[in-house]
Amino acid sequence: MERNPMRRQLAIMRQSLFDQGHVDEQFVQLEELQDDANPNFVEEVVTLYYRDSARIILNIEQALERKPFDFRKLDAYMHQFKGSSSSIGAKKVKAESTLFREYCKSGNGEGCMRSFHQLKKEYATLRKKLGAYFQLARQAGPVETASRPK
Amino acid sequence: MTPTLPSGDQASDQDNWDNGRLAHKRQLLTEIILRNRLTALVVDGDTTCRVLEQLLLHSYGVQTQGVDNGRDAIALIASGVKFNLIIIDMILSVLNGLEATRQIRDMGVHCKMLGVTACSGESERQAFLAAGVDVFIEKPLDPEHLVPILRELDGQ
Repeated sequence: MERNPMRRQLAIMRQSLFDQGHVDEQFVQLEELQDDANPNFVEEVVTLYYRDSARIILNIEQALERKPFDFRKLDAYMHQFKGSSSSIGAKKVKAESTLFREYCKSGNGEGCMRSFHQLKKEYATLRKKLGAYFQLARQAGPVETASRPK
Repeated sequence: MTPTLPSGDQASDQDNWDNGRLAHKRQLLTEIILRNRLTALVVDGDTTCRVLEQLLLHSYGVQTQGVDNGRDAIALIASGVKFNLIIIDMILSVLNGLEATRQIRDMGVHCKMLGVTACSGESERQAFLAAGVDVFIEKPLDPEHLVPILRELDGQ
């Protein structure tokens, strides 16, 4: 099977993740932690993120069903979610998290609902795009990488 | 050199060259070889963050332990384990980061403490610094912030 066309496609796909603002510089940091000993590290971390953050999303959904809103609790949930999202370089998700927290601080329930709706869209979109990217990366095979001195 | 995926597109050669120069510059700022064995405690309730922070430290040769709440951090330190560096989030379960930081300092621990948190407001920054962290860093923890601190701890 031709690897170069696949690698080219992979590079284009990767670049579009940045160009479309889905991921930021932190994603590059994850890639730098990937090496021959951990060739699927980035995918594993992203999988971990989606697994753990699903619980936080559920907590927020449930909290938004209870009236009146407990903005302090909502803010605490989103604090954690924002932190882990930023750790994988999820740029748009992080931006919506920040907006949600601002609405919490100002006690704007409508704003929280709107922002959370948008956040879930970005979260799902990123998952889909990264899923496709990792699938292609696995097909393309490992790339020779320089590893940081240990 | 920062690993980049190969591109056969000639139109991106200039981009590759610019990216290469930036990567080299960043490499100069973020590479370090530690002369001493450093240890760090990472206190973060979020698994993704904690794993990544520990891995980042490990990639520089720092030995790490991780706990997910303030109470366990206090217990570990009280048991006599010493660390060169403590990285702690602000919002933690059981015992929050601010209170955990105060208690750690009250125990006479003087090591470098980094408050690494998703909070970005000035009031949060001041509160964390007042509680006793030496440096406030908005997540994610990155080499540009970490390496100068490791250099300092390593006496470089």
